[in-house]
Amino acid sequence: MVVCPKPFALLKCFSRIRIMSEVVLTTLPDGRLALVKNGKQIPVEARRCFPWSEPEQFFSLRDEDGNEAGFVKSLAELEGASRAALADALAVAGFVFRIARIVKVEEELELRAWEVETAQGARRFQTARDEWPRDIPGDGFLVRDVAGDLFWIPPMDELDAKSREILWALVD
Amino acid sequence: MSSSQQSDLANDEVLARYTNQAAQLPQQVRAAIEAQWNNAPVILYAMGDLDRGLKLHREWVALGRERIAIMGEARDGSLSLVADLPRGRIKLVREVHALSCTVLTLLGDANEPALATIRYSHRQRRAFETIVFLLEQQTKGFDVQPSGDADAVYRESLTQPIIEAQSAFARNKGAIVWRLVGYMKPYRRSVLTGMVTAMVMTILTLLPPLLTGSLIDKVVKPFQAHALDLSAARTSGWWYIAAIAITLSLQEVFSWIRLRTLSKLGENVARDLRNEVYEHLQKLSLTYFSKKRTGSIISRVTSDTDRLWDFVAFGMVEVSLALIKILALAVVLLTLDWKLGLVMIAPIPLVVGLIYRHGNVIQQYFLRIWRKWSNMTDIVSDTVPGIRVVKAFHQGEREAARFRRRNQAVLQEAYNIHDLWTGFWPRVVMIIHGIVMLIWLIAMPRMIAVEPTLTVGKFVQFVLYMTMFFQPIEVLGQVGRMLNRATSSAHRIFEVLDSKPQITDAPTAVKLEPVQGRVEFENVTFSYDGVRQIIRGMSFAVKPGEMIGLVGPSGAGKSTVTNLIVRFYEATGGCIRIDGVDVRDLDTESFRRQVGMVLQDSYLFHGTVLDNIRYSMPNASLEEVIEAARIANVHDFVTKLPHGYDTIVGERGQTLSGGERQRVAIARAVLANPRILILDEATSSVDTETEQKIQEALDRLVKGRTVFAIAHRLSTLRKADRLFVIEEGRIAEEGTHGALLEKKDGTYRKLHDMQTALHEMFAV
Repeated sequence: MVVCPKPFALLKCFSRIRIMSEVVLTTLPDGRLALVKNGKQIPVEARRCFPWSEPEQFFSLRDEDGNEAGFVKSLAELEGASRAALADALAVAGFVFRIARIVKVEEELELRAWEVETAQGARRFQTARDEWPRDIPGDGFLVRDVAGDLFWIPPMDELDAKSREILWALVD
Repeated sequence: MSSSQQSDLANDEVLARYTNQAAQLPQQVRAAIEAQWNNAPVILYAMGDLDRGLKLHREWVALGRERIAIMGEARDGSLSLVADLPRGRIKLVREVHALSCTVLTLLGDANEPALATIRYSHRQRRAFETIVFLLEQQTKGFDVQPSGDADAVYRESLTQPIIEAQSAFARNKGAIVWRLVGYMKPYRRSVLTGMVTAMVMTILTLLPPLLTGSLIDKVVKPFQAHALDLSAARTSGWWYIAAIAITLSLQEVFSWIRLRTLSKLGENVARDLRNEVYEHLQKLSLTYFSKKRTGSIISRVTSDTDRLWDFVAFGMVEVSLALIKILALAVVLLTLDWKLGLVMIAPIPLVVGLIYRHGNVIQQYFLRIWRKWSNMTDIVSDTVPGIRVVKAFHQGEREAARFRRRNQAVLQEAYNIHDLWTGFWPRVVMIIHGIVMLIWLIAMPRMIAVEPTLTVGKFVQFVLYMTMFFQPIEVLGQVGRMLNRATSSAHRIFEVLDSKPQITDAPTAVKLEPVQGRVEFENVTFSYDGVRQIIRGMSFAVKPGEMIGLVGPSGAGKSTVTNLIVRFYEATGGCIRIDGVDVRDLDTESFRRQVGMVLQDSYLFHGTVLDNIRYSMPNASLEEVIEAARIANVHDFVTKLPHGYDTIVGERGQTLSGGERQRVAIARAVLANPRILILDEATSSVDTETEQKIQEALDRLVKGRTVFAIAHRLSTLRKADRLFVIEEGRIAEEGTHGALLEKKDGTYRKLHDMQTALHEMFAV
């Protein structure tokens, strides 16, 4: 029997109970992630609570009506198949272009035109002049192009000299 | 060339310049798909640009009238058919939007594996939205066919975000400057005066060195060599000095004329631009304003026009004069002594190049300080409107510390800029001094020789001319930056001026005076983005003086109906008639004068209560204003204010409560005496007592007018002659309050029951 004499300890008890509760996930034939609950498969969308500051922890599983059907604190608490299903879903949910090298950034009328090499392939994109790459809590920078796509830029020391030189004016 | 061809061309240019994406469905893909479909045409297409592993690739999704096909295109151009299925097999279309991609799944019968899955970045999303919309409509049983050319739809979907961000395709800088020059036409005399005085000044600046050289060679030297007597030498000397003095004085006079003329010219052009931009803004449709940020529009009218003043006043003339000056000086120096002239002129391209490069480097520093400056000002613009929250949570010191840090970052960048330019210019000066020293080294042996080949006077002349080289070189070095700033501002201004109002009156526009108030919708359809239909084939007829309540869930299209009546937007299909006349044939100004609107959050302008009530009728008498105020339940609270009707309401009327603002807005509508009245949630967000006062005011206001009232609180619409229940852009139910309540499974009945239950729950 667990004794919880103080309020904070009580909270901890609840959280432990929740963590220990088994979350089973699977991938449906149509490719969606599903939460298996009482023998039923509930299609869910996996959302990272902290996509940048804690990308590997705290996942909210939302059903088709947008309600929270389940919550996963960490991938580590899931068993193999569930972990793989969630990891696949998260790969899509958290997808952003990952810049490896900056080839060119040109200032134009109201636009900043980028030419980059990303982990996904070469890409040209444009940002508004007042859209600056912002520091993200994890590491590196994030910039949004005019179409809404996000591009992750590694920290300065992970970039080559030319990319660093180009990026210098745009980030701290 | 037609306007659609021009637009296609512009879209092609944007695509080629800004993306590495095909401008249309490749011919071999189209041919392969159409062959697969027995030559049935592709009516719409889009490109999935991410593969299963989320790497960039190309996968074309083509939609025909009966089928949909997906074809992969490898880098070497080889094609592979991924899927080809009848559209009828698709029972459900599911989109999952992630941070930078969308996964589109086409599903067949329940428990059947997905028919197809396509992944694409947000860049492709607009092109897919059209396809998804059509497929969704099909699954709901509606047969919607796309209008327009598939290539144009695809290209526009890709280029739209770029064009919206940039406002227009980056135009040639020369063309922008030339257009700007056009604004000087009304001030030809000023331009001419400015140019002539500037040229005269340039010529005058060349004279003092010439006179000084002559004075030395023709007066001082002969006198010292006893070839000229004292009196003759002095007389000539005084004449030379007088000539130099006159030249210098004339320089000042011309400089004064030039500065005064060109400064005023710049101000005139800036004023004309400001007026033109603001007047044009008044003509633009609401769509334009919904696409632009307010700050961006304001800066076009204010700071951009101001920036152009500088360019028009001085930039253009300074640049042309700098070129003339350098050429003139080069000719003079080469004429005086070609060898020394060559030594002086040869390094000039190097110096201009260095200054140009410095301009580019410092531009990067300016970019940094601009960013840091925005960071700092963001705090001010963020915390001032939220000052109550800051105070409530005692975060003043924290905010101050945050500001100090960002302010310090600005200072650091400013230091960096000052370090850069203060380090650069002495080096340029050093190069010029080096050239001067080189000239001395070459000149000295030629002056102090058994047979001198260079006179002292000529050399002094030379040295004086050399010092003049510096200023025009500096100007030329700054040309790039100056031009960039000016063309950027001019572009932003011209973009506003070139935006065409979507609502324009026909030359034979009809003035309905007075409007009777009959409103008819005949199979009206409307879409804000050309894809998603907000109003779907709506038809109704409203008699003059009738009050119509519009109810339905959020996003059903209630406000859109009222926006279409006022002609803020043009219906994309069908016809709207006022008193039997198509709204497109009406004189918009005359018609809108006879339409009144009271919205949920009434906007009051900075000014007095009187100004705001009179906004609709500036010439209304004070008696009329008071009468309108009484009807709107404004008079009582206004007369209790110390300044009465002369009370300044503050920006957006912030000194008044929400209910008071609303009643002032009603008074404004009463004074306008509209024939058609639109009430959009006019009584929401206020307490019960205030609502009662507003309701009283509205009851008086609606009498004798055609009224369209939108309200979520159904009780406020009990007096309506008829209620239209709108769902998904259609009238789902129509009738009186009582008749609609009798429909047990009706939407209105359900809404009413829910509200009653909620009311009872909170009443307890």
